[in-house]
This record gives sequence, C-alpha cells and structure tokens, in this order.
Amino acid sequence: MNSTPRALNRFLLALLGIVLFAAGALTAWAGASPAVARQWTRAGQDTLDRITGQLRAAPVPGTGSSWWTAAAFLLLLLLVGLLVAWIATQGGGRTGSLGAHEDAGRGTTTVDVSFAAQSIRDATAQNRQLRSTTVSAWKIRGAHALRISVQARKGASPADISSALEEVISGLDAVLGEQIPVLVRIAAGPRTRFAHRERVR
Amino acid sequence: MSANEPVARIARRELHPSRALASVLAASALIIAFLWAAAETVLAALGRRPLLASPRQIAHWAAAVPAGTTPAVLIAAGAALAVTGLVLILLGVLPGSRARHRLSGERAAVVVDDDVIAAALSRTAHQRARTAPEQVTATVGRRRIDLVIRPTSGVPVDEAGIREAVDAELARYGLDPPPRLFLRSRGQGAVGV
Repeated sequence: MNSTPRALNRFLLALLGIVLFAAGALTAWAGASPAVARQWTRAGQDTLDRITGQLRAAPVPGTGSSWWTAAAFLLLLLLVGLLVAWIATQGGGRTGSLGAHEDAGRGTTTVDVSFAAQSIRDATAQNRQLRSTTVSAWKIRGAHALRISVQARKGASPADISSALEEVISGLDAVLGEQIPVLVRIAAGPRTRFAHRERVR
Repeated sequence: MSANEPVARIARRELHPSRALASVLAASALIIAFLWAAAETVLAALGRRPLLASPRQIAHWAAAVPAGTTPAVLIAAGAALAVTGLVLILLGVLPGSRARHRLSGERAAVVVDDDVIAAALSRTAHQRARTAPEQVTATVGRRRIDLVIRPTSGVPVDEAGIREAVDAELARYGLDPPPRLFLRSRGQGAVGV
C-alpha cells in the first residue's frame, strides 16, 4: 500500500547482482585458469599505468594530488547521495485525509481519515468475528486510498468478514459520495495465532 | 479485475514483496563502501595514514590479485561473490509471494493471510466431522490446501461430507487461482482428545 518504488528496487538489485556475479565469475575463472590470471595481471598493470598517466596529466598546482582525484571524490559523494535517496524512497505515502473537494471559490472540504476510521470501527465493533480494526489512508499515484486492516478471530470465515466489510464500505461510499480504492487486509494477528478456537458460539 | 485498475494494483502489491529490506541493505553496504573509499581518498590527498589501505595500495592490490592469491582462495572468493550476485538477480527477477490470497470482489481488494483461511477451513472440517478442533490440521499453500483429520477412535469420519463442506466454504472465497484441496484422514484414531 505504501509508495515503495518496487520496479526501481528490482532493477537496481538485479543490476548490482549482475555486477557482483560478473566479478565473482571472473575471479573464480582467474583462480581456475592460469592464462586468465596472467591476462588479469597484464590488463591490471596496463590500467594502473594509464591511471597514473592521467593523474599526472592534471595536477592540482601546489599539491601532490590531481584533479582526477578530486573528481573521483565528488563522484563517490554523488553516488552516496543517490543511494541515500534510494533508501529514502522506501515506504511512505501515508496521509491523514481521504481527499479534498473544492467548491467553486467557496473553499475546500477535506475528509479526515479519522472520520472514516471512526465510522468503520463503529460499524465493525459488534462483529464477533473480528478482534480489531485499523484504518489508515494512503496516497497512491496522486489518488487517495483507504486501507482497512482487521484481525480475524481464529476460525472466522474470511468470506463472512469480507461481505460484512463490503457492506461497511458501501455505506462509506454513500457518505463520501465517491468510491475511493479500498484494501481490506484480513490477518491473523499474533494474539489470534496462539489463541484457542471458541468451542461455543 | 480490469474493471477497477487501482484496486487490482493495490491487491497485486499486497500479494508480492516490495524488496524494500533487500534494497535498504544493499544500499547501506554500498554507502559504507563508498564513504570509506571517499575517506581514503581525502586521507591520501592530505598525506595522512590510511584507515585500512590507501587508494594506491588498493589499486595495486586489485591489479595483481591473481598473482598474490592462491587459486583455491580465488575460486572460493569468486564463487561467494557470484552466489551473492545470483541471489540479488533472483530477488530482482522472481515475483516472490507472500502467504496471502486475494478473495473475489470488485469493490475492494480483499487480501487474506493463509493462516486465516487455514483456521476457517479447519473449523468447517471439524464441525462437519464432529471432532475436537485439535483433530484437524489445515495447511494452506499457494496452489494447494492440505487437510488432515485424525478421527476419534472408533468413530468413522464421513470424508465425502467433509470434503463437500470444505469445498463449499472454499467456493465462497473465490480464490484465484483456485487451490486444490487434498483431504486425508489418518488411519490411527485419537483417544481422549
């Protein structure tokens, strides 16, 4: 329900995986074949020479270092910044409202999620199949969506719970005057998992 | 399901893992490595002692790894790296799944833990079989559901009736794809449950 960039996650993980896999395969190959090991050493020496040449070609006046070193340092910081941004995009998207309506110049009406939460909790309070109900609002691709998370009692039929909640949702639709996307999560909470089923109903 | 695209998308995202944890771990590892490299660069430029190794030392080491390492160590290290890479590739490519199912329904995306389905089917079965709850075990997987009944000693179980009752309950969920139901009653009876 959150706005984790899933495609980006998968793409970057796979990319990193390909790089690691290639490096690992090459290393193992160099261990298995002396010819590859020799070629590695030769190519490595060539690269070292070229890098040394490049570094000498652009010295920072008055110091022993090179502009290339400074560039490499900045590149590293840039990469760190991008990685931090990647981490920062995980999760998120929770909001406090179910959307806003503008009334032509007369102001804006915002429906707070606590309103929906209260009415849904009231409507499900008497339901013996449910242990608890949690309601939260999320912003998905610019649109608002509602998440109703319920903890089922052990042995409760998910079909019964689902139809009871569909009724609650249609009531909410009528009150809000529009249909916002809804996710209903029926979970077995930690308390349900170890509980005994009720023998008598 | 295509009638309500946002709802279908929400359900889809609820059924598959987001790879957020793997992403954060991978990014953190890279951040540590890059920050270390940046610190070594600065220390080397200032002429200070390196933390672990200066960039020059690292470059010379990397250029001559095969010459300075025994082949067995190279192969082992390479295999470890490759396996790590393979795991990351698979994390990126495989859909992955959570122990959840989506119930039928257009208005809302209803996603249920497999635990809840198992408990409900197990209740249906033991009520139909007139056994104690403990005598029925249900296991719900992606494509199959296993129900094992341990009958009360001396009392035969009506397998066909139970199957019918459980199938009827399962049909109410409208799971897609419909899992196959495997019902077994163990020959050995239970006494004093």
